[in-house]
Amino acid sequence: MSEDYLWDPSAPVDPEVQRLEHLLGRLRSVPPAPSLPERVRWSSRLGRPAALLAAAAAVLLVVAIGWRGVHAPERMSPWQVTSLEGRPRVGLAAVVPETRFAVGQTLVTDSVSRARISAEAVGQIVVDPDSRVRLIATRDGHHRLALDRGTLHAFIVAPPGQFQIDTRSATAVDLGCAYTLHMADDGNGLLSVEAGWVGFEWHGRESFVPAGASCRTSPISGPGSPRYDDAGNDFKEALDEVDAAPASPGRERAFRLVLQRARRRDAVTLWHLLSRVQPSERDEVFKALAALVPPPAGVTHDLVARLDRTALDPWWDALGLGDASFWRRWERPLPSGPAPR
Amino acid sequence: MERTIQLTLAPGVLTDRAAPSAGLTERLRAAAGGDHEAFGQLYADYVRMVHAILLARVPSCDVDDLVQDVFLTAFRRLGSLRDPAAFGGWLAAIARNRATDYLRRSRREVNLPRALPGGQQIESDTLDALDALRKLPDAYRETLSMRLVEGMSGADIAERTGMTPASVRVNLHRGMKLLRELLGWNDHE
Repeated sequence: MSEDYLWDPSAPVDPEVQRLEHLLGRLRSVPPAPSLPERVRWSSRLGRPAALLAAAAAVLLVVAIGWRGVHAPERMSPWQVTSLEGRPRVGLAAVVPETRFAVGQTLVTDSVSRARISAEAVGQIVVDPDSRVRLIATRDGHHRLALDRGTLHAFIVAPPGQFQIDTRSATAVDLGCAYTLHMADDGNGLLSVEAGWVGFEWHGRESFVPAGASCRTSPISGPGSPRYDDAGNDFKEALDEVDAAPASPGRERAFRLVLQRARRRDAVTLWHLLSRVQPSERDEVFKALAALVPPPAGVTHDLVARLDRTALDPWWDALGLGDASFWRRWERPLPSGPAPR
Repeated sequence: MERTIQLTLAPGVLTDRAAPSAGLTERLRAAAGGDHEAFGQLYADYVRMVHAILLARVPSCDVDDLVQDVFLTAFRRLGSLRDPAAFGGWLAAIARNRATDYLRRSRREVNLPRALPGGQQIESDTLDALDALRKLPDAYRETLSMRLVEGMSGADIAERTGMTPASVRVNLHRGMKLLRELLGWNDHE
């Protein structure tokens, strides 16, 4: 046996150790980092200056707590978990009736269990088998979950923009809606909207997905272009290729097929493509979209070629899907999520 | 009320730790002040060590959740860490305590489950190897888990755990010898 290889994996291979590496390496796993509570430490032996400041802050904190104790009820997570089937877990504990779901906790369903997460003022989320969901933040006007893997169905009653779900490759921002979100272990996902709208965002790449439409996401390229579920399979497959593989051999053909097969209602897809294709292709998308929905007065080819919002927004308004200001109003810099893997 | 962590060092850990890098000290200070990004870097640096320690003790399907628990506990208690150089050993102690706590509270069988989180099936030869690994003394199974499961080098293991390189080398060598015997691979040596 080579002791060097046991010490240093870059040394000449020892077949016996390598065999064990092969067997046991299958168990290697890097779970997602936990959601940390949003707070500031009040003391630290690692930093004296910070400790002095913390002492002063602690005095203020005690006063503040006393004030709140008199004037406000204790704040607790409004989220509860209910078992719908099998034995879902929060952390390592089985869900019992009215299990509270606190920030930092994880809900896990196995292959035969389902659960419902609910908060009266926000809505409810049904979590399918083989899923893992974390509560990242919850406070007035801001509620945030993370779907690490699996499938959930969200029915949200909170005002638009207040409820978000992070995944490994996109953040779903509720704009008043019901939707299903699936996330595979490899970070690829699918959002399907049943009612209302969902914004799908990743590092500045945004998709606005209306009811009846779906949108894929990948850890490499982020959210794809939304497409209506009743579009032809050839259209949807070609769109997947355009979204996912800008340099693939079949992309040119797929790009042409998307432009040719787009129906009037697929204008929403072409509108998204305007900002995603190469500048050299933008002219063709402009023409195809103009053939379906003529650009309003003042929306010129030059402005669209520069992706000027003063041209893109009015053209969106002309699609008949509502006013762009609706989602621009809720659009804001999203807190940074996990990095793509 | 939070339980007090008992800082028990694994066999083989010597006290002449190397000085911590300036980067580690800085990250610990920032994380203790609530800096999530700094703590995220600590997580990235130490997650394999914690995963290995837990996998050597508890069912694989629960290891990921326990890893998160361990880091959350560490985040909450980081202010009590006096010596940055002790961070690896301190974190390892939290992981061992969390595994012990899990085994004490769990009413489930702790036989090895046949599936990983996400439902992926574990092959029987992998189960046999893990079963044998878990029968080794603590110091050997942890060190070998870091090397054989996580792919860490001996130097990485020493740096993360705070053990001396000599202790890691001994643990690897003696652990491997015992593991071969348990697996019936006696034709080498």
